[in-house]
Amino acid sequence: MHTPLPNTDLQTTYYALAAVVLPFVAFLINFMVSSKSSKMSGWISTGAVLMSAVLAAMVFARIWNMQQIHGQQLWFSIGETPVYAGVWLNNLSVLMLLLVTVVAVPVHIYSTAYIKTHENNRYFTYLSLFCFSMLALVVVDSMVLLYAFWELVGFSSYLLIGFWFTRDSAVQANKKAFIMNRIGDIGLLTAIIILFAQYHTFDLVQLFGEKGLLYTSTIKDGLWLPSSSIVPPHNGWVIYGSEGISSVWQYVAFTGIVLAVAAKSAQFPLHTWLPDAMEGPTSVSALIHAATMVAAGVFLLGRVYPMFNTTELDILAVIGCFTAFMAATIALTQNDLKRILAYSTISQLGYMIMAMGINAYSSSLFHLATHAFFKCLLFLCAGVIIHEMQHIKEENELDIDPQNILYMGGLRKKLPVTFVACVVGCLALVGFPLTSGYLSKDGILIQSFEWADGRSAMFRLVPYGIMLTSCLTAFYVARLIFKVFFGEFRLKEILPNVHLHVSDGGWQYTLPLLFLSLCSLFPLFSINPVAYEHAWLYQGFAPSNYLARESAYHMLVPIGINIASVFVAYWAYAVYIQERKLVFPQTSFWFRLSYHQWYIDIFYRNVIANAVVQLGKALFWVDRSVVDGLIELLTKITEMLAALSAWTDRYIVDGTLHLIAATTSAIGNFFRGFQSGKIQYYLFSMLAVILAVFIIKLLI
Amino acid sequence: MNILTLLIFTPALFGLIILALPSSFRASFKYITLLATLLQVGMSAFMYLNFKTGAAFGGINQESQYQFVHKLPWISLNLGTVGKMQIDYFVGADGMSIMLLVMSAIVMVIATLASWEIKSNLKGYFVLFLLLDMAVMGVFSALDFFLFYLFYELMLLPLYFLIGMWGGVRREYAAIKFFLYTLFGSVFMLLVMVGLYLSVTDPATGNHTFNIVQMMNPANFQKYSVFGLAVPQTIFGISARVVGFVVLFVAFAIKVPVVPLHTWLPDAHVEAPTPVSIILAGVLLKIGGYGIIRICMGIFPEVAASCAFWLGLLGVVSILYGALNALAQRDLKRLIAYSSVSHMGFVLLGVASQTAEGVSGAMMQMISHGFLSSMLFFLVGVIYNRVHDRDIYNFRGLATLMPEYATYVMIAFFASLGLPGFSAFVAEAFSLAGAFKSTLIPHWMAVCGSVGILLSAAYFLWTLQRMFFGKELLKGGEIWRTALTKLDVREKAALLPLALLALILGIMPSLALDKINDSVLAFVQFLQHK
Repeated sequence: MHTPLPNTDLQTTYYALAAVVLPFVAFLINFMVSSKSSKMSGWISTGAVLMSAVLAAMVFARIWNMQQIHGQQLWFSIGETPVYAGVWLNNLSVLMLLLVTVVAVPVHIYSTAYIKTHENNRYFTYLSLFCFSMLALVVVDSMVLLYAFWELVGFSSYLLIGFWFTRDSAVQANKKAFIMNRIGDIGLLTAIIILFAQYHTFDLVQLFGEKGLLYTSTIKDGLWLPSSSIVPPHNGWVIYGSEGISSVWQYVAFTGIVLAVAAKSAQFPLHTWLPDAMEGPTSVSALIHAATMVAAGVFLLGRVYPMFNTTELDILAVIGCFTAFMAATIALTQNDLKRILAYSTISQLGYMIMAMGINAYSSSLFHLATHAFFKCLLFLCAGVIIHEMQHIKEENELDIDPQNILYMGGLRKKLPVTFVACVVGCLALVGFPLTSGYLSKDGILIQSFEWADGRSAMFRLVPYGIMLTSCLTAFYVARLIFKVFFGEFRLKEILPNVHLHVSDGGWQYTLPLLFLSLCSLFPLFSINPVAYEHAWLYQGFAPSNYLARESAYHMLVPIGINIASVFVAYWAYAVYIQERKLVFPQTSFWFRLSYHQWYIDIFYRNVIANAVVQLGKALFWVDRSVVDGLIELLTKITEMLAALSAWTDRYIVDGTLHLIAATTSAIGNFFRGFQSGKIQYYLFSMLAVILAVFIIKLLI
Repeated sequence: MNILTLLIFTPALFGLIILALPSSFRASFKYITLLATLLQVGMSAFMYLNFKTGAAFGGINQESQYQFVHKLPWISLNLGTVGKMQIDYFVGADGMSIMLLVMSAIVMVIATLASWEIKSNLKGYFVLFLLLDMAVMGVFSALDFFLFYLFYELMLLPLYFLIGMWGGVRREYAAIKFFLYTLFGSVFMLLVMVGLYLSVTDPATGNHTFNIVQMMNPANFQKYSVFGLAVPQTIFGISARVVGFVVLFVAFAIKVPVVPLHTWLPDAHVEAPTPVSIILAGVLLKIGGYGIIRICMGIFPEVAASCAFWLGLLGVVSILYGALNALAQRDLKRLIAYSSVSHMGFVLLGVASQTAEGVSGAMMQMISHGFLSSMLFFLVGVIYNRVHDRDIYNFRGLATLMPEYATYVMIAFFASLGLPGFSAFVAEAFSLAGAFKSTLIPHWMAVCGSVGILLSAAYFLWTLQRMFFGKELLKGGEIWRTALTKLDVREKAALLPLALLALILGIMPSLALDKINDSVLAFVQFLQHK
């Protein structure tokens, strides 16, 4: 360790490191020893993550609300810049560490039964890689490492979305997920580079920790000044305040962070990969695409929070609120069970981002934690349902989509445990009293009203928008429950002879469901089921000023929203079970907008992706025709010049020579005629010459 | 015997042995070549381990700070009143060349392993191969411009024949295109070289000299010489030193290759046999980057500073243009050739920044790209040798048929697209960081450069999706199915070390950066004091 740590701290650091590395060890074992047809790999990974969870709990107990630990070691030097690798354990990181491991354990257990034996090895190899990357992401202290694990998380998600790589849709989905995430990655990279150029360090603690560099920097006269004074030497490295760069770059860095967050946490406009990511195994969706990885964006916001100014926070609030609303409207009309849940995840992540924007930092992280449990629970329930539907499909040789809720119905009698768990999860999602969701979500709602107080009318849209979103949530959740669990089994109505052999499954299914259901209720977070301020998790991050329950919103908002939710749920009951026609017709514009997911995906595919591919083709044409064409032209010109000089050479230079030669030989031939060997001719010639001389002489 | 000289001339020695052996021994030629290249790896490893680091070993413009130096008077002509013409055999290594020498030695082994596919005229092939090997090592170590030029031109000859005789259908076209392109650059380089020779005198002897290190010292230029700094001269109304810089830059830019001087590369790659592609992409492109750093910017530092904007711009254009072109390809080998153009753009961008981060990033990118492009071309060779086709749309679902091969392809693709944990990530991230930090080039260049990272993900993943995933479907049907056999031991022996090297350099970049760092710092300092 670079900075000497006290012994107990060192021990804590080692525990944290062990918690991070254990899944990696499992990954290596599974990768090297590929025993394809055994259950071993599953138990290796599960064991590793279980031990990680225990270690994480120990670390949590030592750090939470106590001291923070920062230990690092030189990784490499580039130029004069030392790049350190280390861990930064504070409330935020230990919470994430604990949360990820605790959610991962039931998912691992569930997966041992859920994934077919011959795919076991590959699946758990990837899953362990994911756990390692995610755990490392939350504890690292350097922006370079943060970026590295940020991408590795995306990479393991890529592997798991495309787990069934012979399915075209799965492969399309994982490509899309990775590329969308890459957009966020280059945003993050740009932000890191800007921060590095400005502060000459990658160290998160130096930048964002208490009294970090970000607190001392200012924007003055369009210039972004890193700090006014010399920062006291840290690690023997003195940082001098530089002259500063244009303040535009502060906003570029912010935009980069927003892109990163939007990509990872599936916020508008980069959210479209998440619904497609449901092509992966459902257990993966539960862990990665609901509980942990998608929360990484919120975590990142939590880490870099000091860098935002008020305008930027407002932008975050608007993005979050809009995404929450948009995703909720889409979830209303989807028929694919997993897609509904995916849009609900996007919507809930929107709540968290919005909470960050409205300064409800602690509520945002609180909601992150509660959401992780109940959304994971809902996905695992969905996994059981889909598994059973698949079973029915195979048994009866039907051609149906096992995820389509229109084929389900009345399953509460067949799958009682799943039903109860699912209802608990849904109530938490709606934010019903006595659930954890009530505590975290209502906190956000209340604070959004407080935030909008005293602001312009535009900002008042945010709290009302989010209230409306909560009502929509109640509707789509109710629709899901009623369609899946109530009424009659719809396949039976279509095909009366269908065989139904379905059950909740073994303990690997029911135990995780029970565990997560318990975690979705209030006692885990607060003794007081109605006051979110009393939750220990909230208090761990809370600024002191929100503790007083002074405003009337603390009473009105929860009561109002719950009454509204009950009404909306009843409406859904009336529509779907009693089959009264009280819903929008399926031909209306609004229905189609929702059903086609606001046409965003279609727009991206047909306009943007297509444009890039066409641009590539056009440039290739330029390359062939223009750039290479110029070279060809040069060749042609050279060839023509060569031909010209060859012609000149042959007909002019050589021609002259030939002419001389021909003339000479003609003259020679002419005179040769005189050399006949007969004396008379010679005399005759002589006479002729003399005559000629005389004639010329006379003439001249 | 000097180790560097040994490193350079070992291949020539083995080449002579092959030349002397009768053709009936032809089966042994590849093993002899393999032995030669392995010996080179051993020697370069020895040099790597014994390479001293620290501020006293920066190299660049300090002759005394070079290591493994070997200097012998070579051509010495007494020209009477004009003085003495002196050309030295002068080789040495500093941080800029040591890692490139190690990388080249390793790539040569891989190329030898890929040469198993060559079936005709083995004697000619391996002799030319070893000649090329010698020339490459010579270029990276020569510190005398005349010697450098000699090795530089010596590379052309074997390459011309290697592409023209053992290549694909349009091999003659590709070979002549490659040859003329490069020659075009180097002919003018010759003029600048002579101009420099006439401008620079050795302070010790007072003679004109070809010594590159002496050329970096402004004090060594004569007052009224062409490239002298004291009294600026002009050629066609343009500053002579700018002309000199531009001419040298064009010569090396053709090698890199920099858009728009790159069109020889896709053709050469598509037609060249796999081992030649490996050498071409793995080693020869780096000579361009190395030449820009050592010769262009080393000798004309003040022009480099004033032209930084244009260098950076060309770098960004290469990154984006190469990537977009790669997106449009359906020939796998051509795709990888264009991706090389894109990746080498980062080298130019990093170098143009003239910051320690940027130059280190550029050096790292050259090393990393050396390994990764070798791996990529080797992988293309694997399927091309089996079915003589590499059209992306003629394959589907290869991952089911050849899982191990698909794993290596995924490693190579993801490493190339800059996944953290692999060497390319460190290289690209720091090239961009340096570009952003630089005061010589505008900030937006770094931001635009990062879009190249996004596009590289797009074309690599699209290729993975089209060729490797999905249901198995091959154009050649059952015949291809049987032909597409698993990787054999030789192929794995070539691929595994490359994958590991990319991984190790990504996790412990200090293995390369420690050796490079002092020279980079010296170089950046040298540029600032120009």
